[in-house]
Amino acid sequence: MASVRQLNPKAEVLGRGAACFMNVNAAKGLYDVMKTNLGPKGTIKMLVGGAGDIKLTKDGNVLLREMQITNPTAVMIARTAVAQDEVTGDGTTTMVILIGELMKQAERYIADGLHPRIIAEGYEIAKKDLLEFLDGFKEAIDPSDRETLRCVARTALRTKLREGLADQLTDIVVDAVMTINKADQPLDLYMVEIMHMRHKLDTDTRLIRGLVLDHGSRHPDMPKRLENCHVLNCNISLEYEKSEVNAGFFYSSAEQREKLVAAERAVVDDKVQRIIDLKKQVCADGSSFAVINQKGIDPASLDLLAKEGILALRRAKRRNAERLQLATGGFTVNSVEELSAECLGHAGLVYEHVLGEDKFTFVEDVRHPHSCTILIKGPNDYTIAQIKDAVRDGLRAVKNTIEDAAVVPGAGAFEVAAAHHLRTVTVKKVEGRTKLGIEAFAEALLGLPKILAENSGYDPQDTIIALQDEAERGGCVGLDVSSGEPADPHLSGVLDNFIVKRQILQSAPIVASQLLLVDEVLRAGMNMRRQ
Amino acid sequence: MAMGMPYGLQSMLKEGHKHLSGLEEAVLKNIEACKQLAQITRTSMGPNGMNKMVINHLEKLFVTNDASTITQELEVQHPAAKLLVMAAQAQQQEIGDGTNMVLSFAGELLANAESLLRDGLHPTEIADGYAKAGAKALEILDTLVVAGTQTLDVRDKAAVAQRIKGSISSKQYGYEDLLAPLIAEACIDVVPKNPHNFNVDNVRVVKINGGGLHDSRVVQGMVLKRGVEGSVSRVVDAKVAVFAQGVDTSSTETKGTVLIRSAEELEGYSRGEEDRIEDIIRKLAETGAKVVVGHQAFGEMALHFIEQYGMMAIKIPSKFDLRRFCRATGATALVKLQTPAADELGFAKQLAVQEIGGTKCIVLQQDSSMGQISTVVLRGSTDQMLDDVERAVDDGVNSYKLLGKDPRAVPAGGGSEIEIARQLLQYGRKETGLDQYAIVKYAEALEVVPRTIAENSGLSATDALAGMYSAHAAGQTAAGLDVETGEARDLGAAGILDLYTTKWWALKLASDSASTVLRIDQIIMAKMAGGPAPRKGGAADDED
Repeated sequence: MASVRQLNPKAEVLGRGAACFMNVNAAKGLYDVMKTNLGPKGTIKMLVGGAGDIKLTKDGNVLLREMQITNPTAVMIARTAVAQDEVTGDGTTTMVILIGELMKQAERYIADGLHPRIIAEGYEIAKKDLLEFLDGFKEAIDPSDRETLRCVARTALRTKLREGLADQLTDIVVDAVMTINKADQPLDLYMVEIMHMRHKLDTDTRLIRGLVLDHGSRHPDMPKRLENCHVLNCNISLEYEKSEVNAGFFYSSAEQREKLVAAERAVVDDKVQRIIDLKKQVCADGSSFAVINQKGIDPASLDLLAKEGILALRRAKRRNAERLQLATGGFTVNSVEELSAECLGHAGLVYEHVLGEDKFTFVEDVRHPHSCTILIKGPNDYTIAQIKDAVRDGLRAVKNTIEDAAVVPGAGAFEVAAAHHLRTVTVKKVEGRTKLGIEAFAEALLGLPKILAENSGYDPQDTIIALQDEAERGGCVGLDVSSGEPADPHLSGVLDNFIVKRQILQSAPIVASQLLLVDEVLRAGMNMRRQ
Repeated sequence: MAMGMPYGLQSMLKEGHKHLSGLEEAVLKNIEACKQLAQITRTSMGPNGMNKMVINHLEKLFVTNDASTITQELEVQHPAAKLLVMAAQAQQQEIGDGTNMVLSFAGELLANAESLLRDGLHPTEIADGYAKAGAKALEILDTLVVAGTQTLDVRDKAAVAQRIKGSISSKQYGYEDLLAPLIAEACIDVVPKNPHNFNVDNVRVVKINGGGLHDSRVVQGMVLKRGVEGSVSRVVDAKVAVFAQGVDTSSTETKGTVLIRSAEELEGYSRGEEDRIEDIIRKLAETGAKVVVGHQAFGEMALHFIEQYGMMAIKIPSKFDLRRFCRATGATALVKLQTPAADELGFAKQLAVQEIGGTKCIVLQQDSSMGQISTVVLRGSTDQMLDDVERAVDDGVNSYKLLGKDPRAVPAGGGSEIEIARQLLQYGRKETGLDQYAIVKYAEALEVVPRTIAENSGLSATDALAGMYSAHAAGQTAAGLDVETGEARDLGAAGILDLYTTKWWALKLASDSASTVLRIDQIIMAKMAGGPAPRKGGAADDED
């Protein structure tokens, strides 16, 4: 300790006991905040940003991202949890709670004089054994079974939103993933566009098999509604482009200038004319035509297109162009030379919806939807943000299930079974004090169903004993949050992602062990001290 | 040691964070804030509501009893109260009326929740109960629809005026008989074949200082508050050419320089320029157009020729006004300075400069058959008063739009609220769980509407409520409060009715926001950011 002081007199040092105490406390602090979030009956937190903006959330990930944490230990735990979200899309709250529990349990033994290394060893053994146990505990499923996917999605969504809304979103999320799922190709969730409109109620959120673009035509005379529509998806600039070099003209009469003006237009007009020619060619049968351009279209070109009854959208987003291709068929055209009837996509209905100042264009009723849009509605921004985060997690949950082809029974069933396994099987494999580490791990796992019970308004001790009794009799048993009684999670359809559980089991003990093994905290830098 | 032994969240967050949690710190404080907000707007409710004087951050003065304006200009800071404000704004966006009911009712729901919380109920239990009661209330509301209001001829001026009177009387009491027919006339002028597609934007309001409200009138067409560019100030049965850019010599996108080598060339250049403009204007005049409308400035040369050919020149600098003008005349805005084709020209029955109270206005008067835009010209003594009347007109126009979509109406004057409250009380008493307390409180909260109307009218609220309850119990389920006499009677007979959709959304949004406030048990506030407020993000692609 003193040696550091000599090297840098300003350094702050926390010695052995204090370092451990600080880490445990930080973990517990974070644990206390997150614990009320867990499960379908968790409460909502309100986050108020620097500009007074409001966010309501039950999602651990959102909470950790939005809170500006400075405590180093807490930051470490929060980062692990955020990494969990990046890998699996769910389980952040569980992660923080498990780390907190592991630290809490370890603290008891350390206070009794046990060396942290022994506990860390115990955690390591328990972790290895549990990962094997999890492999045996998971249940293989058929990834094309809609009902199973719905169960997983519902379990994930109910922890983020109120029940009625969650159930409604379940179908939307599952259908969205099934729409974009193509056999023998990896799932790309970016093909589900999430669009929001501040309009009506949250229960008006729906799935659109097609695309919704958040802009409309820029010309008042363009058609607002087209049926049986050819869709040209292009990336052609239809406006005057300045030359790269700094060029100018000299002219000496008004006629010459008029000619220049005309010549400037001619380049763009020619491109527009080719599009119009194509339209005339394919729309001979009375169908209609829409142009969705990633580049700009100037007012004069818009005018020409409008005269032909073509709906034109300019400055479409690149990601939407990609999705549009999947939704309507056809492919993106990059120059007017490539224009042909083959490159056109098709949509049964294209229409514009105006909402105050904002315009939206719906491309619906497409031939082969391999891309779709979840249209989120809500009366205010915070509702929309809340649904958006939840939908993202729901999509991830469904994707994980399809990729894992396996699920794990939820509602605390795995935790209870795993604790039982640790206490009956694993503990026999080791000798000596390491047993204590395994015991601590088992106790920590039980913390999760306890909090679940607490948040649902039941006595955690009573519940956990009832659950353990049931588990000893064998079989899979979880907590029914509406009655507080042990129940088989299969019956109520509470299923969790396999990969979520595996990721938690892998990271939580590592972080906890690392934090426990810290014996000195050195804070030595110019600006480390609070001013 | 500075880094100390941290415990709890507070010490882990960045400096300046505030963290509130639990019943006392979060829930009750939130309720308190929401109550305060409701207190402010409550006194503005109903026909006899009081006006508020609000001065916003730009030092602009508002005198109004329109709750949405009050809350908008107040810039509420408290996060929980902000939730209510958002609900009120949602109501304003969806319906355009009934914002005060959202605020007052949500505030009352929360005030009642407070007493339940003091009794030891858990906030989520109350929120659940409120959600249940809210659903039931909407069910009851369905049954209250006044018979005979399911259909309405949206082109019958008298009937329409009667129906929008209710919404106006809560904003400009005493003037409803004057304003309602005006609004009805303006709306009926522009209603399309399918009333569903009625566009609020097609009814314009122009405020001109001076005169009295009684001098207000409706113009079938448009009124622009500016003069003409040239000297022709009146045309009748005229063709109109509209240009979406300036009427001037053309210019190249690339930088151009006039290269002149001799005096002759200079002369020739100016001459050529003149010829060109004259050529364009002459051709324009040959099409029969008598009016030229430009989006940007008129060139002096162009104006000269326009004058020479005896045409009227109007500049409309607003893009939206230009579009409306096109709609009103049936013209197509041309993007190039060219000779318009016959179908691109619009038609104006009469276009004249009039002086209304010292303000020069261009008045476009159309036949009712071609009207796509109508304008209510409001006259009044002060800007504030005109602003307030404009808001009442906006509410009236919004009501008309709703009438076109769903003409169903429910009893007004607190009649529907009392009936829902009465039936909810019976329903709540039959419930067995903890929900029943919340349902009963929800019913009691509904009384806030008639009670406030009575209080604002200087009546005894308790007497009024008792009278209404007894009337309802006696089977007069449509009895509302008559603010003149303080007695309960069926106001529907006098033609005062509320719109079903307005009530539906108000109940729904108020219940939802109250539940949301109750469900929050922790607030984490970041340090207020300094510097200017973040710029409101607008569409980047808005020039055309």
